[in-house]
Formats: sequence, C-alpha cells, structure tokens
Amino acid sequence: MNASHGLEFAQTEVARASLDHCVKCTICETHCPVSAVTPKFTGPKFVGPQAERFRHGESVDHSLDYCSSCGACTLACPQGVKIAEINGQARAVMKADHMPLRDQLISQTTLMGMAMTPVAPVANAALSLKPLRTVIEKVMGIHRDAPMPKANTQTITGWLKKRQNPATKATRGTLVFFHGCAGGYFEVETSKKSIEVLEHLGYEVLVPKQGCCGLAQQSNGLFDGATDKVLKLCDDLRSAGRDLTIISSSGSCTGMLKHEAHEIMGVDDSRLKDVGTRIRDIMEFLLELYEAGELPTDFKPIELTAVYHAPCQLKSQGMGQPAMEILKLIPGVEAVESGATCCGIAGTYGLKKEKYEIAQAVGKPLFDKVKEVNPEYAMCDTETCRWQIRKGSGAQVEHPIFLVHQAYGLR
Amino acid sequence: MMTRVVVIGAGPAGLVAAIRLAEGGARVALLNKGTGGLQLGQGTLDILGYGPDRVERPLDALAGFAEAHPGHPYGVLPADLVARSANYLRDLVGPALLVGDAASNLQLPTAVGAVRPTALASPSMTAGACVDGARFVIVGLRQLKDFYPELVVGNLVRTDLPGGGRLQARAAMLDLPAREGEIDSTGLTYARALDDPAYRKRFAQAVKAVVEPGETVGLPAVLGLDDHNAWSEVAEAIGAPVFEIPLPPPSVPGMRLNRALTARAKAAGVRVVPGSKVTGFRASGGAVDSVQLATAGGDRDFVADAFVLATGGFESGALTADSYHNVHESVFDLPLRRPEGHLVHGDYWGDPQPLFTIGVEVDEQMLVRHPGGDPVYTNLYAAGGILAGATRWQEKSGEGIAVASAVRAADSILAAAATATDQGAAS
Repeated sequence: MNASHGLEFAQTEVARASLDHCVKCTICETHCPVSAVTPKFTGPKFVGPQAERFRHGESVDHSLDYCSSCGACTLACPQGVKIAEINGQARAVMKADHMPLRDQLISQTTLMGMAMTPVAPVANAALSLKPLRTVIEKVMGIHRDAPMPKANTQTITGWLKKRQNPATKATRGTLVFFHGCAGGYFEVETSKKSIEVLEHLGYEVLVPKQGCCGLAQQSNGLFDGATDKVLKLCDDLRSAGRDLTIISSSGSCTGMLKHEAHEIMGVDDSRLKDVGTRIRDIMEFLLELYEAGELPTDFKPIELTAVYHAPCQLKSQGMGQPAMEILKLIPGVEAVESGATCCGIAGTYGLKKEKYEIAQAVGKPLFDKVKEVNPEYAMCDTETCRWQIRKGSGAQVEHPIFLVHQAYGLR
Repeated sequence: MMTRVVVIGAGPAGLVAAIRLAEGGARVALLNKGTGGLQLGQGTLDILGYGPDRVERPLDALAGFAEAHPGHPYGVLPADLVARSANYLRDLVGPALLVGDAASNLQLPTAVGAVRPTALASPSMTAGACVDGARFVIVGLRQLKDFYPELVVGNLVRTDLPGGGRLQARAAMLDLPAREGEIDSTGLTYARALDDPAYRKRFAQAVKAVVEPGETVGLPAVLGLDDHNAWSEVAEAIGAPVFEIPLPPPSVPGMRLNRALTARAKAAGVRVVPGSKVTGFRASGGAVDSVQLATAGGDRDFVADAFVLATGGFESGALTADSYHNVHESVFDLPLRRPEGHLVHGDYWGDPQPLFTIGVEVDEQMLVRHPGGDPVYTNLYAAGGILAGATRWQEKSGEGIAVASAVRAADSILAAAATATDQGAAS
C-alpha cells in the first residue's frame, strides 16, 4: 500500500457513493450533538451529503472542521448514508496541506503514555499546574481546562509480569485481550479487571505486546500514520493466535478495528478484516455468552443507582448498548441510561482550544444527569469519555466491567 | 420460559409492537437500521382521512372503505381493534402528547394552509380546528425556514371548510432569532430554545404584541421539545388560545412522540439496537429461527420464537423495485401481492399509483401469508407500512393501520406463547 492511499481514497472513492441515498429527511440533523449547541457547525446533512456534491478536491464548507466525528448521524440515518464517514474523509482532504502541529502531536497517544508512566507523579502534578496549562494552550492550542489522563506508575505489562497465576482453571479455551494504549498506560485497572473477569469465567487470556490503533490520528485526518498503526496492531493481535476471539475493553478502539479503518481510510487488508471480525467489545462478549446460556449469573447484589453512558463510538458499532443488558443482571444495580448522544470529548476534539467550549456544552446534559442521579459514581466504556465525564461532573467514572468484577466476588 | 421476539423496524408499528410485547412479558429485541419514520410525521394519529372523500367519522367509515378496497389492511383490522389500538397509543404517550376521540376527525391546518383530517393530535394543536367563524392570526418567525404565514393564511381563507362556512385569518411575522448568529434555523433549534423558560417568556411577549382581541394564535410547531408544557405556558403568557402547525421535517411533534415511545420501550425492557441492517435469516421446519444483523465487525445472530416485520414500504427501503419493475421485500424476500397491469401510470395528479399498494399479505393474526394462501412461516408477523393494499399518505391511514396491526401481531404472539406454555405444562 503506498503512503498516500488513505487520502487518495478519501478524495476519490469516499463514502460519497452512499450520498445519493440521502432523501433529505433531516433525521441526522436531529441527532447531531454539535449543531445542537452551536451554529458554527451547520449540521451533518448540510456539511455531508449536500456539500459533498460541490467538493472537487477543495471543500466548499469549512464548518466541516467542527464535526466531532461522533458518528451519531450515520447511526441514525434510515437510508444508510455514511454521513460521518463522508465528513471524516472530506476533513482529512481539507486539512491535508496545512495540518496543525497540535493535531499531529495530540494524536500520538502511545507516546504520551510512554513518556508519562515513568514519571507519573511528576507528569500528573505538572498537568495540574495552571500556568503550565496556559502556556500549553498558547503554544499548542490545547485548552487549559481540557481533561487530561492521569498517569499510572504501573503499566498493564508491568502488572502482568508481576502477578500470580489466575485462581480459576482455564476450561473454556483461549482468548486474546486488547487493552488499547489508554488501557495499557492510564486506565490499567480496567484492563486488569477485564482480564480477571475473563479468567474467572474459565478462559485463558493472552495479552500480546500491542501498539495503538491509530484512531486519534484517523479522526485528525492523519490517515497515513493511522493506517500504519492499525495494521501494525493487527499484526500484534494476530501474533497471539490465528482463530482466537479478541476481547477489548476499549470501546472506541474496537470501532476503529471493526469498521472505521476500513470505511473511513479505505484500509483494505486481510489482516484488518481478520481482526475486525474476531474482535468483541467485552460487554458485547458477555452478552453473547448470556444469550447462549453460557454466562454464570451468580452475581452478588450491589446496591447502586448510577448513570451508564454508552459512548458514541461504541454505539456507532451498531450493536446497541450491551452493557445495559449485562448491568440488568446484577441484583441491586439500577443503571440509568444517560440518554446523551455524546459526552463532547470525541477523542481529541474537546481538548482543542477552539472546540473546548462546544465540547463542554455537548456534555452538559450528561454531566447534569450524572449529578442528578448519582453525583459520586457513573459508568462509561471508553477512556477519554470517562476523563471528560469525571472532569465535567466530579463523579468517579468507571468501566461497567468494574461492577461485573465486583458482583462475581473478585477483588 | 419467556418467549423471545425480534421486532424489525422502529416506526410507529415497530415501537408499539415492541412495547406491547415487552409489557405482556416477552423478551424483545428491537432492531432498526435508522431512526423510525414517526419523527418525520406530524405528531398526530391518522385513521382514515379520505376514502376518497373527506372523512369526518373514521371508525364508522372503515367497514365501507374496506369493502370498496379489496385487499386493504383494514379488511383484516376491524374498527373496534383500530379504536382500541389508537387509544392504546394515546395512553402510552399520555394526554400531554395525544388527545382526541378515534371516532371523529379533527380538521387541522397544515404548513401550506390545507385543512387536514386526523383522528388524534397533540393538545397543542386542537385549538386550530378549522370551523366556521374561527379567527386566526398565523405568526411566523423571520429566522425560521419552512414556515410562511402568508401562504398558510392565503390558502386557509379561501377554503370551504369541511363543516361548511369559512374562517378568517391574517398573517404576522416576528423578528426573533432562536440563537445568535443564525438566520435560517430549523424548527428543532427553535424548539430547543423554547425549552428554556427565559427564552419562552421573551417569545410569548413578542407574539402577544401582534395578537388582537378574539384571535386564536397559530404558531409553527416548535413550542418546546422536552418540555411538553411549553406550549400551554406560551398560551397563558399570551392570554389567547394557541395552536401549533406541524412543519416539514424535522418535525418537533413527531420527535416528541418518537422519544416518548422509545423511552417507554426501553423502560419496558426492550433491547433497542439501532444503526444496523438485518441482512439475512435462517429458517427450519417452516419457522424462522433467527435473523442476522450486519453490525460493524460482522453479522450477529438474533434467535427468537417469533418475528415482527415492521420495516415500512419503499420509502424506507423495505421494498425495492428494479428498472424492470420487479419488486422485492428486502429482509425475508417474502412473496408479495402486486396489482394487475402496470405499476406506474403517467397521470401524476390522478389516481393513486398501483405501485404503492404492493406489500405483504397477512391473515387476521398478522401472520405473513402467500397471497390468497397459507402462512409463509409459522412465526413471522407483519405490521404497518409493509402491508399490501393501502396508499397511506393519500388515504391518511398510516398510523391507524400501523398501531392496529402492531397490537394485533403482539397479541397473537403473546396468545401463541401462552398456549405453548399451557401445553408444556399439560404434558
């Protein structure tokens, strides 16, 4: 594959093939969380299937940059128009000759984790310094109040090396675990608990050394770098075994592997197809087990009422909200669906200084709901969304696997 | 054991079927490839508006209409079922969203100033009943696209009203942006602004300034999205009766209904799976075993005891036609009932196009059957726009057919499950 394939695909092939299916019904407009809070984005229908007809290399509508790529429009479209994909591609083409340095840097997620882990306390302290954040905003364009991950002193690899063998015998076969970069460096606890739940169920869990999926680069229009990353990741995950089911606790990265790399960047590679069809979100996997009558439901009661927010990039996988179904099985747990389309962060969107206010406005109904239902605790499947909701609501926000872990009596 | 049902499609038929099944004890998955058509509608419930003449008492007209239209869905949906089903929907969403009597049609103004018959409507609309001697002021907003009071007024005042007589109306225009920096807002943007009490107050004051004593105020249907009392607060602040006129999509009254029903379905325990298309199915022994949902990352099997096909018609892609006029049902490739002769004629404004009466045929249980013959599968039911024989938008019969067939399909499934359980217990 030559280096410019992604952009070439975006410019020529595009999901635009689907735009003739648009009947202008406006359903996408009613689901867009960005145009709901700002007139700066003229809405998915206008910017997508309508403006696309007038694009010939150059974009006619620069409000396109305000699309957060949440995918709510594509999900809602009853005619199958790939609206978010059209917009993602058009934006990459639009930004190609003047890609901001900021966008190139903040999409380097693995680098951030690698740099911060060894100096976690220092990094955390530094990122909480107002003057430093102001400088970063001025120089880099990352908003001074944008949520930042908390670095861990231990990576998932470090934990795996040191821990003892699992207590349960592996009787159900072998799975491969994909933790994503955030699950490797920042949200290590989510990865640990996921692995422990799978082992408790009787699986042997393989965790191959793995890199980043490239989602952040993809959403910033850096298709070449993202393509390299996602294919490298496919090789990593395939190295653990060829026919094994891959389980992920990183909702948005799963979406990159399942459809976005292929549909937005045109990555047409058998390795991606192989991984994309073998991968399951962990809650999706548990629900599949339940539907097949193979999930033990000897859950210990947990008295808890809390908001569950399904991230946009999880919903865009078109599988509904599996976590809601699993949480219903735990006695005492009342998961209140957030009802929010998006938390606002949309990967790196809400970090950018010119979009920060919009991202906060998008997230506000969700933050309010968390404060109203249970200001202490909420649940969400992806890392950046959890950082955003923590920052916006003040609640402790965890992956729903935490409750499954607890309800199985694991510690 | 709890019966499992898959409902395909989340328009009025799919939502009502899913809710009724779940509240009747079934475990329901509602699969829909995109948001259903309810929010593109007017937020009203039509039963029968034209048959072909304007209908004032729809339930009374149904039997005669069905007789005159052989093969129409109302042939297998008796009037008492239609009435019960309309009331069921009314009770599901509550009196803040639907009022009226299924037995008699309201005659309400449209956004182009036509007088449209419908059975149930939002309470925010009923003051717009077009009766002799009514005095309307129709108020538009300069920054709102898709609503032109002069057009509404021009057509309304020259209309001979269904009950006889004429009404008076005049137009007024306000200069009141929904949000700063936007000069062509949609109705939805206004509705969101009007959810805010502060904006609502400013809005009502501006309207009040143009209303004359004795006038009833017609406004675009943008009076609040989440706040279902917004319209009545506006009316109170103005000090005159107010009615909403539904706009082209995005239709705020349609969204209110869609949101209320979707929330109700979820509260009833329905697993809602939006955004993926059902692309295949497996059957054995004359029954459908499962459908395949094409999610990102591949097909997922949904196994169930019964299936409800509520996918709509051509407009939603449930039916497709090629250039040879071969028509296919897109999920199960079901046998279709098609009219004799050409499917399309060239007289655009003339008789209904035969094409649109194509659909699946059902028996009285809503089981899909071979045209004139036996059920295709023992557990595949259909409801709503996929049914053969109706030209819904011309007859104004869409929601009436949808809810009645949905209720009947759900009740048939629940009854079959109960029978199976009894037999299981007996043996």
